[in-house]
Amino acid sequence: MSPALIMQHIRDGIMVVNTETIAGKVITQNLGVVGGSTVRAKHVGKDIFAGLKNIVGGELKAYTELLEESRTEAIARMVADAAARGANAIVNVRFATSSVAGGASELFAYGTAVTVE
Amino acid sequence: MRSTDARARTLIASSMLSVLLFSGVAMAQAAEARSEDSPFIMMCCLGPLLLISLGFAVFGILWAVFYPIMFLYGVIFSERNLNRTMSDLVLRERASIDHFGKDPLSTLKGDHIVGGIKETGLVYANVVYSPSHWQLLIAWINQLFGGRIDVLHRVISAGRAEAKQRLREQAQAAGWDDVLNVRIDTAEMTPASKPKGTRAVEVFAYGTGIKFG
Repeated sequence: MSPALIMQHIRDGIMVVNTETIAGKVITQNLGVVGGSTVRAKHVGKDIFAGLKNIVGGELKAYTELLEESRTEAIARMVADAAARGANAIVNVRFATSSVAGGASELFAYGTAVTVE
Repeated sequence: MRSTDARARTLIASSMLSVLLFSGVAMAQAAEARSEDSPFIMMCCLGPLLLISLGFAVFGILWAVFYPIMFLYGVIFSERNLNRTMSDLVLRERASIDHFGKDPLSTLKGDHIVGGIKETGLVYANVVYSPSHWQLLIAWINQLFGGRIDVLHRVISAGRAEAKQRLREQAQAAGWDDVLNVRIDTAEMTPASKPKGTRAVEVFAYGTGIKFG
């Protein structure tokens, strides 16, 4: 499934929050930890451009976009995992970032899949 | 969709490489069949290598020309740009506080809300921010004497303020009334194994957007 489709899925069915409970709802079942991760790198051209921008300083838009896209994909994978377990919400979502090599970075999103009523 | 794209790209790249390789071998064999001199074969095998090294040479020359210019640009303008970003941020912050009626971000868990919550969802925003090489040089000189390194502090706090402001704007765009349990993560873009890479920090802010019932 594409990230856009999954984000639609989030809006329709699965609630994703980083609080421990969902206000006004009761957690009925705990379905375990779900997670999703991606490793992404920008192509050489944009990497060189970001290196040039680095000399001047300020925001590196190429990297910002890269990380935003990959985070959306990590969330999408986490949601797909939760949907496969039959959950209708993910609570207490956390994010972790690590840089593997040069321009590549790993984004990891994890949370607890639950059913709420 | 994305994975098929990647697969197609890999396929194209590998087919192009194999075509290059096969044509090189075929040309070398043809040259051998015609029993010409060895320099022709050498050219066939070394052609791609020469092209790549030419590319590197051009890149190196461009780098040598552009680096001093951009460094000087950084010396003159990086402080000014940082100040301008900060003053822009103050204005944007004021605009979104006007929209929400208060600062929407909080690290509370939502137990204090009495009216009830109609809807919740995740909000996140990120920014990659870097000091200029001039600022890094100043920071290095400051490090020799120790103490407070004000230059880097200002760059990182500008990045953090930018990420928070983007979170407010995301919440505004998605129509949330308030953002609870905000966390701010800071990750270094440069891995420890590659000390000469891009010097940048990534600030990532996320929280739970709510709509009052």
